[in-house]
Amino acid sequence: MKTAQAGTLESMDCIVTVTEAEKGRGISIVMEGASVARFGEAMVKATKDTLKSLGVRDIFVSIQDNGAGDLVLKARVEAAVRRLAGGKAA
Amino acid sequence: MAINAAGRNIPDSIPGYGEVRHFKGHDRRPPEGNRFGKRNRTAFNTRTDKTLPDIKAAISASGLKSGMTISFHHHLRNGDFVVNAVLDACAEMGIKDLVIFPTALFGVHKHLTKHIKSGVIRQIMGSVNGPIGQLASEGGMSVPVVLRSHGGRPRAVTSGEVVIDVAFIAAPTADKYGNLSGAVGRSACGSLGYAHSDAEYAQCVVAITDNLIPYPAPCIHIPQFFVDFVVSVDSIGDPAGIVSGTTRVTRDPMRLLIARNAAKLIEATPYFRDGISFQTGAGGISLAVAAYVRDAMREKGIKGSFGLGGITEFFVDMMKEGLFERLLDVQSFDLAAVKSIGENPNHVEISADWYANPWNAGCAVNMLDTVVLGATEVDRDFNVNVNTEADGALLHGIGGHQDTAAGAQLTIITTPLLRGRIPCAVDSVYTVSTPGEVVDAVVTEFGVAINPRRQDLINAAKEAGDVPLVTMDELIETAEKFTGPMSPVETEDRIIGVVEYRDGTVIDVVRQLKKK
Repeated sequence: MKTAQAGTLESMDCIVTVTEAEKGRGISIVMEGASVARFGEAMVKATKDTLKSLGVRDIFVSIQDNGAGDLVLKARVEAAVRRLAGGKAA
Repeated sequence: MAINAAGRNIPDSIPGYGEVRHFKGHDRRPPEGNRFGKRNRTAFNTRTDKTLPDIKAAISASGLKSGMTISFHHHLRNGDFVVNAVLDACAEMGIKDLVIFPTALFGVHKHLTKHIKSGVIRQIMGSVNGPIGQLASEGGMSVPVVLRSHGGRPRAVTSGEVVIDVAFIAAPTADKYGNLSGAVGRSACGSLGYAHSDAEYAQCVVAITDNLIPYPAPCIHIPQFFVDFVVSVDSIGDPAGIVSGTTRVTRDPMRLLIARNAAKLIEATPYFRDGISFQTGAGGISLAVAAYVRDAMREKGIKGSFGLGGITEFFVDMMKEGLFERLLDVQSFDLAAVKSIGENPNHVEISADWYANPWNAGCAVNMLDTVVLGATEVDRDFNVNVNTEADGALLHGIGGHQDTAAGAQLTIITTPLLRGRIPCAVDSVYTVSTPGEVVDAVVTEFGVAINPRRQDLINAAKEAGDVPLVTMDELIETAEKFTGPMSPVETEDRIIGVVEYRDGTVIDVVRQLKKK
């Protein structure tokens, strides 16, 4: 199973770990951190929007959050996905 | 149901709490009744030794039975062994259904979880810092936790609203006839201020010490004539958890900026003059404010009158330097404060009643010029939340927040605008701990918002020219720009916590969190 990671646990950052999933399994997201209780919906939306824009349909995403805003979260998701794909851009 | 003066919709009666007196404004409830106190008793010279062999013997002698109310103080903080030991003994003796009335519980009291689950403890009236608060928030207690401030608690005791059947007082030093001191002994904690009303009003008082010395003890904080029994144990606490070594001023540049903004505001007001009195907490930002104010006092040659509250080395040093005449100490936070209270007659122990009770002939907070306090959240009406976290869990007590805010001429809340993604300035706080009517300014790294009720302060700040003024609306908008909109906390209807204002009215309630 291939995985890739992006981010840190500095305040207002997060670590995003992505794991490849079989075709048709869809997107599953697991989140941890103090913001999840009040920003969980926003975090799910930011993650799904980013995956959609990258054309990813099947993936497992784990977010260890330490207060990242949507912009940071989106950037970490994108970086992790590109690393998983093996691109050098990340 | 009624909407109270803090804008909260509160039922008229709460299961496990009873009838609600609604909060109508910070000075609206007139005092009632008399001070009364405990049954009279006598002790002739045929009994000159109050010691008993162990805690169980003291529990038996005290007459403690299932369903009664027992109290504790929290001067041993997270180092305390006494609360757990007493409840273990009660459990072994088959005593159940107790109401425990501590001034506060800490992480070390997670041990009580089993006694809550087994029914030894029915209710907690007191601050629940950490794990017990989490347990209550998730619905783990059958009766709501009742939170009172440092002044509200002695008000409830001295007025008879809460009758303590047995007070268990952890004493760093005791003699066999019940004179108690917090200043000496290997578990020394300094002031025993929170325990005084309990000693004076409980039907029975049991002192528990790990330093039993010949009569009479030195530096007596609680005198023999309040104390019924004395028990000597191996250890009442872990010194590392009782006092911190030194409390440090923050080095975080953002927090220093907040502190600098707060100090600029203080210097801009008429309270910054000879005779200024001052209270801050022991947190990083608070101490940094004290450091900036100290520097300004030195520079302008200003001498203060007294420092109040939880006392730290920082305040001890300011008194030594002549920047304060006196320290009034209800709780000694570090080793230097503990040492000072035992040695310096200008470092005075005060009880919580003296410190903050709104129902006496005048408590110390009324003489305060300036207090610097923290918050988990503030809102458009300047209401402050110190009790619940962003996820809605009840994890902190009120402390002296309500009391000092109501008493001081200038009440300043310092807080970062954001903690991670969590905004600290919001439209409406999740829990009102302290009403906005007694809060004068909110100081953040993005500027200082002064309560529009205090036009005098706004004018003074404008005249000084160096206070970065903003409005509360601007702070809230700035925070939301960073964070985006928040989802509401999901709760059940059931009330698990009742937040009393210092006058005994209910200012807010905390509801059980929805299971995820």
